[in-house]
Amino acid sequence: MKGLLVGANTLFRAAIAAGVLTLSAFAAAPSGPLVTTDWLADNLKDAKIRVIEVSVNPGVYERGHIPGAVNFSWHTDLNDKVKRDIVSRADFEKLLSKTGVASDTTVILYGDTNNWFAAWGAWVFDIYGVKNVKLLDGGRVKWEKENKPLDNRVPEYKATNFKVADINDALRARLTDVLSVAKDGKKAKLLDIRSPDEYAGKVFAPAGIQELSIRAGHIPGAVNVPWGKAVNEDGTFKSKAELQELYASVGVDGKLPVITYCRIGERSSHTWFALAKILGYKAKNYDGSWTEYGNSVGAPIDNPAGTIWAAK
Amino acid sequence: MSWQKITAPVLIAASCAFAYYLSFVEAGRTPSFAFVVGFVFGFVMQKSRFCFYCHIRDYIEDKNPNGVLALLLALAIGLIGYTIVVSSWLPTPAPNNLPPDIHAGPVSEVLALAGAVFGFGMVLSKSCVAAHWYHLSEGSIGSLIALCGVALGFFIGFNSWNALYSFRIADSRIIWLPAYFGYSIALVLQLAILGAIAAFVWKFSLKPPRESPKPLATFKEIYDRFFAQSWSYYVGGAIIGALGFLIIIWTKPLGVTATIASWTRFFSGAYDLIPARLHGLDGFAGCGSLPANFWLNTDALLLLGLVVGSFASSFAANDFELQKPTLKESALSFVGGVLLGFGAMIALGCTIGTLLSGIHAGALSGWVFALGMILAIWSALKIKNKFIA
Repeated sequence: MKGLLVGANTLFRAAIAAGVLTLSAFAAAPSGPLVTTDWLADNLKDAKIRVIEVSVNPGVYERGHIPGAVNFSWHTDLNDKVKRDIVSRADFEKLLSKTGVASDTTVILYGDTNNWFAAWGAWVFDIYGVKNVKLLDGGRVKWEKENKPLDNRVPEYKATNFKVADINDALRARLTDVLSVAKDGKKAKLLDIRSPDEYAGKVFAPAGIQELSIRAGHIPGAVNVPWGKAVNEDGTFKSKAELQELYASVGVDGKLPVITYCRIGERSSHTWFALAKILGYKAKNYDGSWTEYGNSVGAPIDNPAGTIWAAK
Repeated sequence: MSWQKITAPVLIAASCAFAYYLSFVEAGRTPSFAFVVGFVFGFVMQKSRFCFYCHIRDYIEDKNPNGVLALLLALAIGLIGYTIVVSSWLPTPAPNNLPPDIHAGPVSEVLALAGAVFGFGMVLSKSCVAAHWYHLSEGSIGSLIALCGVALGFFIGFNSWNALYSFRIADSRIIWLPAYFGYSIALVLQLAILGAIAAFVWKFSLKPPRESPKPLATFKEIYDRFFAQSWSYYVGGAIIGALGFLIIIWTKPLGVTATIASWTRFFSGAYDLIPARLHGLDGFAGCGSLPANFWLNTDALLLLGLVVGSFASSFAANDFELQKPTLKESALSFVGGVLLGFGAMIALGCTIGTLLSGIHAGALSGWVFALGMILAIWSALKIKNKFIA
């Protein structure tokens, strides 16, 4: 009899433990701007979560993606097809409605090459005021390295009627903003996240990429922290304290607003994400970036290497 | 037992070990898979004498239908397999949204011309690029000379690309048939065309007498049937068709000229011998486009596997015999090779990359290349037989 009671007791405890586990399996999304691969793997079936892949390379999603994830092409879905601009408000609303994103959905973005375009996607989502947008820390690479499941089936979700409430243009720096900072560095800090050789004007574009700018160098007053310094070896963001220290070492400490830029504005959104979302600094991304700035007539350039029109 | 027969199992064992080793190298899993596919591809090509040129020539000159029917079988099996795989990637096919990596190229008269140049090259050098690779394992010095010609052809191709791109390729479209007809109609339509060609070939042919195979008895006979004797063309066609779509699940479509292309591009680029900008080229999937890193990449290892696999097959059957070409044959091999390389570069691939993988994927470019190539082979053979033989 005693043995039976003990057995029942154990069973009861196990049942409670199982119940707690089931409940915690669909725990509310973590409050920070990042989710871990483990958390996402445990919460994939949660209907309140919409996982969206934004990869740099076309075709990555089709071969295999996080089960249930939908694909946004940065070329055609998140960019305007006519202007050089981010997707229009109307098209963005259509896109999110088709994807079944509602006001209580938690959107989790991820992508290849260290979440570059996923972070850029997060910036676009933020401009359009979408709440609860998070990045999968470590992106596709970490997910694959951990041998987590991939699926090539394309999910279909019940469409919603998503409406953009207001547009937050404060997250975006324009050429005029950057020019005025170049003249007077007291308004904001400029952070160039390209490679030291691009920053110094030794090269016009990263190796293997055709140059898009006819001048090399950087915006006067900009400091250089290559984007890769913000991540650990496994592609996850460094800790808040480490990031704080990294940017403070070049004078970006949150006291002044900061403007990030790169070559076309995507890697700089990765750093924008670290500054704005993880550290909570006032930060703008300059999506025109060096391609626009380096080609603008009259824009002052700081070029330590002294290259002019790709010559000395 | 000859040294060749002993070398074959050593090559097979070494290849298994190499593939196993690669699978543990950082980013080596896909190249390891490509190496294994290449090995099987080379082995099967050599065993079943899979050869676009020989099969088409045998039909045109001798009305022997077997080889062409095996090619058609390879195309049909791959087409069905691709449709199954690709339709799971993109449930609703649409123009301007191609499935990953498929070898669909821009369709224009330049492509048809490239196919024709390639066809002439086949007649002169007596083989296509893929078959030249496996003829090496049979001791063909002529194939080695032809492959050197191919590299030169690629070099000329890279130097002509920008002009041809501005002339015509820039405004031509990539036509992926499922995007226009849907998967099922595109599949049925293409299978019907393959079936119609098969029926035509069968009707206008001299059927060779069929020998019924003897029942296998001893282990030695089974072993010999597998290693020492040639396989039926149809077995080869079926396996190559299946490899064509199985490979895309893991990596890029089959193609054998990408390595020559990227090496030519690498070396000529290093000495500024080809334009630094090749307009639009890297935007197309295919064999001419992507500059790969040197060794540890899918293209190079697929090719390495192909060569090792065909050596294993050739040695097992004692097929290796050094064949020294005459001066005239060497010259023809080299010039043919140049035409092959030029055609393959402009068409973004050869009989394997553009024709086989392209038709498998339902790309119109594969069909256009095939048409140009077959017409060229037909007319070149007619001219040759009239004036030379």
